[in-house]
Amino acid sequence: MTQNEINWPAALRATDSGEQAAAVRALRDVLHNGLRIALNSRSDVSEAHLEDFAQESLLRVLDRLDQFQGRSKFTTWAQAIALNVAFTELRRKRWQDVSLDALMADGERLTEPAMIADDVLGADEDRTRLVATLRHAIENDLTPKQRAAILGELREMPFDQIVEMLGTSRSAGYKMLHDARRALKQRLHEAGITGADIQNAFNL
Amino acid sequence: MKPEDQRLTSEQVGSIVKMLSLTTDREFNCAECLQHVSEFAECQLAKKPVGEVIASVEQHLALCPECREEYEALMKILKAGK
Ligand SMILES: [Zn+2]
Repeated sequence: MTQNEINWPAALRATDSGEQAAAVRALRDVLHNGLRIALNSRSDVSEAHLEDFAQESLLRVLDRLDQFQGRSKFTTWAQAIALNVAFTELRRKRWQDVSLDALMADGERLTEPAMIADDVLGADEDRTRLVATLRHAIENDLTPKQRAAILGELREMPFDQIVEMLGTSRSAGYKMLHDARRALKQRLHEAGITGADIQNAFNL
Repeated sequence: MKPEDQRLTSEQVGSIVKMLSLTTDREFNCAECLQHVSEFAECQLAKKPVGEVIASVEQHLALCPECREEYEALMKILKAGK
Protein backbone atom coordinates (compact mmCIF):
# COMPACT_ATOMS: atom_id res chain seq x y z
CA MET A 1 0.00 0.00 0.00
CA THR A 2 1.25 3.51 -0.74
CA GLN A 3 1.03 6.29 1.80
CA ASN A 4 -1.98 7.80 0.08
CA GLU A 5 -3.96 4.58 0.24
CA ILE A 6 -3.54 4.06 3.97
CA ASN A 7 -6.53 5.06 6.06
CA TRP A 8 -4.27 6.70 8.59
CA PRO A 9 -6.74 7.66 11.34
CA ALA A 10 -8.18 4.12 11.34
CA ALA A 11 -4.77 2.44 11.25
CA LEU A 12 -3.44 4.63 14.05
CA ARG A 13 -6.46 3.73 16.18
CA ALA A 14 -6.43 0.04 15.23
CA THR A 15 -7.23 -2.34 18.08
CA ASP A 16 -4.82 -4.87 16.56
CA SER A 17 -1.66 -3.77 18.32
CA GLY A 18 0.61 -5.01 15.51
CA GLU A 19 -1.27 -3.02 12.90
CA GLN A 20 -1.35 0.04 15.13
CA ALA A 21 2.38 -0.12 15.88
CA ALA A 22 3.18 -0.47 12.17
CA ALA A 23 1.09 2.60 11.37
CA VAL A 24 2.81 4.62 14.10
CA ARG A 25 6.22 3.60 12.73
CA ALA A 26 5.20 4.49 9.19
CA LEU A 27 3.88 7.86 10.27
CA ARG A 28 7.07 8.58 12.15
CA ASP A 29 9.05 7.91 8.95
CA VAL A 30 6.77 10.18 6.95
CA LEU A 31 7.27 13.01 9.45
CA HIS A 32 10.99 12.43 9.66
CA ASN A 33 11.38 12.55 5.87
CA GLY A 34 9.27 15.68 5.60
CA LEU A 35 11.26 17.46 8.29
CA ARG A 36 14.48 16.51 6.54
CA ILE A 37 13.26 18.02 3.26
CA ALA A 38 11.97 21.16 4.95
CA LEU A 39 15.00 21.83 7.12
CA ASN A 40 17.86 20.54 4.96
CA SER A 41 19.20 24.01 4.19
CA ARG A 42 19.52 25.01 7.85
CA SER A 43 22.94 24.84 9.44
CA ASP A 44 21.45 24.84 12.96
CA VAL A 45 19.61 21.54 12.47
CA SER A 46 21.48 18.27 13.03
CA GLU A 47 20.42 14.68 12.45
CA ALA A 48 19.75 14.40 16.20
CA HIS A 49 17.43 17.41 16.02
CA LEU A 50 15.49 15.78 13.18
CA GLU A 51 15.08 12.65 15.30
CA ASP A 52 13.83 14.69 18.26
CA PHE A 53 11.46 16.76 16.15
CA ALA A 54 10.06 13.63 14.48
CA GLN A 55 9.45 11.93 17.81
CA GLU A 56 7.89 14.98 19.43
CA SER A 57 5.66 15.72 16.46
CA LEU A 58 4.55 12.10 16.26
CA LEU A 59 3.25 12.38 19.83
CA ARG A 60 1.58 15.70 19.05
CA VAL A 61 -0.18 14.27 15.99
CA LEU A 62 -1.39 11.21 17.90
CA ASP A 63 -2.64 13.47 20.65
CA ARG A 64 -4.63 15.56 18.15
CA LEU A 65 -5.99 12.72 16.04
CA ASP A 66 -9.58 13.70 16.89
CA GLN A 67 -9.03 17.14 15.37
CA PHE A 68 -8.34 15.77 11.89
CA GLN A 69 -11.40 16.63 9.79
CA GLY A 70 -10.40 15.00 6.54
CA ARG A 71 -10.26 18.29 4.64
CA SER A 72 -6.78 17.52 3.36
CA LYS A 73 -4.68 14.40 3.11
CA PHE A 74 -3.85 13.10 6.54
CA THR A 75 -0.12 13.27 5.88
CA THR A 76 -0.30 16.96 4.84
CA TRP A 77 -2.18 17.77 8.04
CA ALA A 78 0.37 15.83 10.12
CA GLN A 79 3.34 17.47 8.36
CA ALA A 80 1.93 20.92 9.16
CA ILE A 81 1.86 19.96 12.85
CA ALA A 82 5.40 18.57 12.66
CA LEU A 83 6.69 21.80 11.11
CA ASN A 84 4.96 23.81 13.83
CA VAL A 85 6.70 21.69 16.49
CA ALA A 86 10.10 22.03 14.83
CA PHE A 87 9.99 25.75 14.02
CA THR A 88 8.61 26.64 17.46
CA GLU A 89 11.58 24.90 19.06
CA LEU A 90 14.13 26.45 16.69
CA ARG A 91 12.75 29.95 17.31
CA ARG A 92 12.74 29.44 21.05
CA LYS A 93 16.44 28.62 21.04
CA ARG A 94 17.36 31.69 19.03
CA TRP A 95 15.52 34.12 21.31
CA GLN A 96 15.83 32.59 24.74
CA ASP A 97 18.07 35.35 26.11
CA VAL A 98 15.82 38.34 25.48
CA SER A 99 14.19 39.66 28.66
CA LEU A 100 10.73 41.05 29.28
CA ASP A 101 12.11 44.17 30.97
CA ALA A 102 14.11 45.09 27.89
CA LEU A 103 11.14 44.52 25.60
CA MET A 104 8.77 46.54 27.80
CA ALA A 105 11.30 49.39 28.06
CA ASP A 106 11.81 49.42 24.30
CA GLY A 107 8.04 49.25 23.80
CA GLU A 108 7.66 52.42 25.86
CA ARG A 109 10.14 54.16 23.60
CA LEU A 110 7.76 53.65 20.69
CA THR A 111 5.92 56.70 22.06
CA GLU A 112 8.98 58.95 21.84
CA PRO A 113 9.05 61.25 18.82
CA ALA A 114 12.68 60.29 18.19
CA MET A 115 11.66 56.67 17.64
CA ILE A 116 10.48 57.49 14.17
CA ALA A 117 13.34 58.99 12.21
CA ASP A 118 12.71 62.09 10.13
CA ASP A 119 13.38 60.33 6.86
CA VAL A 120 10.47 58.00 7.62
CA LEU A 121 8.16 60.99 7.52
CA GLY A 122 9.28 61.94 4.05
CA ALA A 123 8.32 65.07 2.18
CA ASP A 124 4.85 63.88 1.34
CA GLU A 125 2.16 65.65 3.36
CA ASP A 126 -0.22 62.68 3.55
CA ARG A 127 2.50 60.40 4.74
CA THR A 128 3.60 62.88 7.41
CA ARG A 129 0.05 63.10 8.69
CA LEU A 130 -0.35 59.33 8.67
CA VAL A 131 2.83 58.74 10.66
CA ALA A 132 1.94 61.52 13.15
CA THR A 133 -1.53 60.02 13.68
CA LEU A 134 -0.05 56.56 14.07
CA ARG A 135 2.49 57.75 16.64
CA HIS A 136 -0.22 59.54 18.61
CA ALA A 137 -2.38 56.42 18.60
CA ILE A 138 0.48 54.16 19.69
CA GLU A 139 1.07 56.54 22.59
CA ASN A 140 -2.54 57.01 23.69
CA ASP A 141 -4.56 54.00 22.66
CA LEU A 142 -2.32 51.06 23.47
CA THR A 143 -1.40 49.47 26.79
CA PRO A 144 2.28 49.00 27.65
CA LYS A 145 1.96 45.30 26.92
CA GLN A 146 0.39 45.97 23.54
CA ARG A 147 3.24 48.34 22.68
CA ALA A 148 5.79 45.74 23.74
CA ALA A 149 4.01 43.08 21.66
CA ILE A 150 3.94 45.25 18.54
CA LEU A 151 7.61 46.07 18.94
CA GLY A 152 8.43 42.39 19.40
CA GLU A 153 6.62 41.66 16.13
CA LEU A 154 8.58 44.36 14.33
CA ARG A 155 11.81 42.83 15.55
CA GLU A 156 10.62 39.49 14.21
CA MET A 157 10.65 38.00 17.67
CA PRO A 158 8.79 34.68 17.73
CA PHE A 159 5.22 35.00 18.88
CA ASP A 160 5.70 32.22 21.46
CA GLN A 161 8.49 34.24 22.98
CA ILE A 162 6.39 37.38 23.12
CA VAL A 163 3.47 35.68 24.85
CA GLU A 164 5.76 33.87 27.27
CA MET A 165 7.36 37.16 28.24
CA LEU A 166 4.02 38.84 28.66
CA GLY A 167 2.87 35.96 30.82
CA THR A 168 -0.13 35.15 28.68
CA SER A 169 -1.39 32.34 26.48
CA ARG A 170 -0.95 32.18 22.74
CA SER A 171 -4.61 32.80 21.99
CA ALA A 172 -4.91 35.63 24.55
CA GLY A 173 -1.68 37.10 23.15
CA TYR A 174 -3.01 36.94 19.61
CA LYS A 175 -6.21 38.64 20.72
CA MET A 176 -4.22 41.37 22.47
CA LEU A 177 -2.26 42.06 19.31
CA HIS A 178 -5.36 41.88 17.14
CA ASP A 179 -7.13 44.37 19.44
CA ALA A 180 -4.09 46.66 19.23
CA ARG A 181 -4.09 46.59 15.43
CA ARG A 182 -7.83 47.23 15.35
CA ALA A 183 -7.49 50.19 17.75
CA LEU A 184 -4.76 51.76 15.62
CA LYS A 185 -6.71 51.17 12.44
CA GLN A 186 -9.80 52.73 14.00
CA ARG A 187 -7.82 55.87 14.91
CA LEU A 188 -6.52 56.23 11.37
CA HIS A 189 -10.06 55.77 10.14
CA GLU A 190 -11.34 58.48 12.50
CA ALA A 191 -8.64 60.82 11.25
CA GLY A 192 -10.06 60.31 7.76
CA ILE A 193 -7.11 58.22 6.56
CA THR A 194 -8.34 55.51 4.20
CA GLY A 195 -6.83 52.26 3.06
CA ALA A 196 -6.01 53.90 -0.26
CA ASP A 197 -4.15 56.72 1.53
CA ILE A 198 -2.08 54.15 3.40
CA GLN A 199 -1.26 52.29 0.24
CA ASN A 200 -0.26 55.45 -1.59
CA ALA A 201 1.86 56.81 1.24
CA PHE A 202 3.83 53.59 1.62
CA ASN A 203 3.63 52.21 -1.90
CA LEU A 204 2.04 49.01 -0.64
CA MET B 1 21.65 49.05 22.02
CA LYS B 2 22.26 52.72 21.29
CA PRO B 3 19.18 54.98 21.11
CA GLU B 4 19.56 55.47 17.39
CA ASP B 5 19.49 51.71 16.90
CA GLN B 6 16.13 51.62 18.64
CA ARG B 7 14.53 53.88 16.12
CA LEU B 8 12.05 52.44 13.72
CA THR B 9 13.19 52.34 10.15
CA SER B 10 11.03 53.41 7.29
CA GLU B 11 10.61 49.72 6.52
CA GLN B 12 9.35 48.95 10.04
CA VAL B 13 6.86 51.81 10.04
CA GLY B 14 5.76 50.54 6.64
CA SER B 15 5.22 47.10 8.09
CA ILE B 16 3.05 48.45 10.95
CA VAL B 17 1.01 50.31 8.38
CA LYS B 18 0.79 47.23 6.21
CA MET B 19 -0.38 45.14 9.20
CA LEU B 20 -3.10 47.70 9.80
CA SER B 21 -4.24 47.69 6.21
CA LEU B 22 -4.60 43.88 6.39
CA THR B 23 -6.41 43.90 9.75
CA THR B 24 -10.03 42.76 9.74
CA ASP B 25 -12.52 42.38 12.58
CA ARG B 26 -12.59 38.60 12.45
CA GLU B 27 -9.30 36.81 11.92
CA PHE B 28 -7.83 33.35 12.33
CA ASN B 29 -5.31 33.05 15.13
CA CYS B 30 -2.25 30.82 14.70
CA ALA B 31 -3.98 27.69 16.04
CA GLU B 32 -6.90 28.11 13.62
CA CYS B 33 -4.46 28.73 10.80
CA LEU B 34 -2.59 25.53 11.64
CA GLN B 35 -5.82 23.56 11.65
CA HIS B 36 -6.64 24.65 8.07
CA VAL B 37 -3.26 25.34 6.45
CA SER B 38 -2.92 21.81 5.03
CA GLU B 39 -6.12 22.26 3.02
CA PHE B 40 -4.95 25.67 1.84
CA ALA B 41 -1.55 24.28 0.80
CA GLU B 42 -3.13 21.46 -1.20
CA CYS B 43 -5.43 23.94 -2.98
CA GLN B 44 -2.44 26.13 -3.82
CA LEU B 45 -0.50 23.18 -5.14
CA ALA B 46 -3.42 22.02 -7.31
CA LYS B 47 -4.12 25.65 -8.31
CA LYS B 48 -7.69 25.20 -7.11
CA PRO B 49 -9.76 28.20 -5.97
CA VAL B 50 -10.04 28.55 -2.21
CA GLY B 51 -13.30 28.75 -0.26
CA GLU B 52 -14.22 31.26 2.41
CA VAL B 53 -12.69 29.42 5.38
CA ILE B 54 -9.49 28.87 3.52
CA ALA B 55 -9.33 32.52 2.48
CA SER B 56 -8.91 33.29 6.19
CA VAL B 57 -5.73 31.20 6.09
CA GLU B 58 -4.37 33.38 3.30
CA GLN B 59 -5.17 36.52 5.28
CA HIS B 60 -3.46 35.13 8.39
CA LEU B 61 -0.37 34.12 6.40
CA ALA B 62 -0.07 37.66 5.09
CA LEU B 63 0.02 38.97 8.67
CA CYS B 64 1.95 36.28 10.52
CA PRO B 65 5.59 35.64 9.54
CA GLU B 66 5.80 32.48 11.65
CA CYS B 67 2.84 30.70 10.13
CA ARG B 68 4.10 31.86 6.75
CA GLU B 69 7.51 30.31 7.40
CA GLU B 70 5.85 27.02 8.33
CA TYR B 71 3.53 27.18 5.31
CA GLU B 72 6.47 27.71 2.97
CA ALA B 73 8.23 24.72 4.49
CA LEU B 74 5.06 22.65 4.02
CA MET B 75 4.91 23.65 0.35
CA LYS B 76 8.53 22.57 -0.02
CA ILE B 77 7.62 19.10 1.28
CA LEU B 78 4.52 18.84 -0.91
CA LYS B 79 6.42 19.90 -4.01
CA ALA B 80 9.15 17.36 -3.30
CA GLY B 81 6.49 14.63 -3.06
CA LYS B 82 4.76 15.52 -6.31
ZN1 LIG C 1 0.23 32.71 12.90
